Amino acid sequence: MSVPAAQMWTVAAYVLRQKLRGRRRYPLVLMLEPLFRCNLACAGCGKIQYPAQILRKQLSVEQCLRAVEECGAPIVSIPGGEPLMYPEIGRLVEELVRRGKYVYLCTNAIQLREKLEAGLFTPSRHLSFSVHLDGRRAEHDESVCREGVYDQAVEGIREALRRGFRVTTNTTLFEGASPLRMREFFDEMMDLGVEGMMLSPGYSYSKAPDQEHFLRKTRTNDLFARMLSKPKRRWRFNQSPLFLRFLMGKHDYECTPWGNPTFNLFGWQRPCYLLQEGYAESFQDLMETTRWERYGRKSGNAKCRDCMVHCGFEATAVNETFGSWRGFVETVGVTLTGRF
Amino acid sequence: MTEPETTLEGWTPEPGPDLPLERIIDLAFDYRGDTTVVLTDGTELRGYVFNRNADAGEPFIQMFDADGAGPRAIPYSRIRTIRFTGRDPAAGNSYALWRRRKETGGAGRDERGRGQG
Repeated sequence: MSVPAAQMWTVAAYVLRQKLRGRRRYPLVLMLEPLFRCNLACAGCGKIQYPAQILRKQLSVEQCLRAVEECGAPIVSIPGGEPLMYPEIGRLVEELVRRGKYVYLCTNAIQLREKLEAGLFTPSRHLSFSVHLDGRRAEHDESVCREGVYDQAVEGIREALRRGFRVTTNTTLFEGASPLRMREFFDEMMDLGVEGMMLSPGYSYSKAPDQEHFLRKTRTNDLFARMLSKPKRRWRFNQSPLFLRFLMGKHDYECTPWGNPTFNLFGWQRPCYLLQEGYAESFQDLMETTRWERYGRKSGNAKCRDCMVHCGFEATAVNETFGSWRGFVETVGVTLTGRF
Repeated sequence: MTEPETTLEGWTPEPGPDLPLERIIDLAFDYRGDTTVVLTDGTELRGYVFNRNADAGEPFIQMFDADGAGPRAIPYSRIRTIRFTGRDPAAGNSYALWRRRKETGGAGRDERGRGQG
């Protein structure tokens, strides 16, 4: 695994504190969406399908920081939209790093080189550019519906690494993904020098225009089992080993929808990053008034049946790692052997 | 085969026994374009409905006006109906359509979907 020790320690200490306080539900990663604008329009993404007046809007840095304080999660992920299009992204990241948060700036990296050259960011162990790459050149450009984006992203990654930034990749896998091509992709990313890779199956957003290319549960297990069998020692993943084992079908976890709460222009999104069932005005309101029993596999909710996405299950895996000896030993075992 | 793409764009429903107002509100909440909310006093409000809470003591919707002002909250009890008057930004932007356009040498994705307002 490639999560730096300091970050792992911060997360472990945070989880243990929540346990000692007897807090049953706690956030792990705040998904902070300062805007919905994007310079891509990927067919699988329902995030940018809004009227113009909504796309023109954005949160202020102060609104973002208030949400971060309210939530208290140790990790802040900034997706969107495309966060590099947020005019205040430099100041926002600086403020988050100053507060000791671990920031994952989730970008398509089209503007990454330009923003780095403009001096918008300072390297920090608290800041990682999480570059969206859905596979090798052909697969990624097809996934984002535009040719040339893979090359732009790789150029951005090289520039960020050259300047001493942490860089990870995040990959969403859809129907038809080839395990062999993905294994080649892992080699490619390691050759490039990224710190680690994050993987997740796509999810069929109820509002996403593309409903037929998302993976169902059994096919997800099959794909990940084939992709991650006999993994190369050099592959590094920036996520919980137990989550990856879950994707391979070796665990049957329940979703933790409050693990990655989402804040955006509309407020605190119920119940999770993927489903949009409404919005709460405050984080406390979200936690206390969301009917959590309506979500997750056990609930029988059809929208949750096939979901295996990291925003729901990574928090479960992390809780398992730091909340049980069995989970901890298993995590250590995978980390030491490199075998899933 | 891909299902034909459907959109509620242009729909002007009237609530009735087979179509309760709550259902129209749910559909407006799911709709990705602007709508026109018609109040019981005849006032018409055009904008984007981004929230609805049917579990609240007094159920309400929240919307941003078409000029971006807001948000404003409107109780269900003040709503007569909602018309789907704005363009549906999700319509015609499916992956399947994009592939078909690509394979037939079309112009590719409609620029309106790029999210640049």
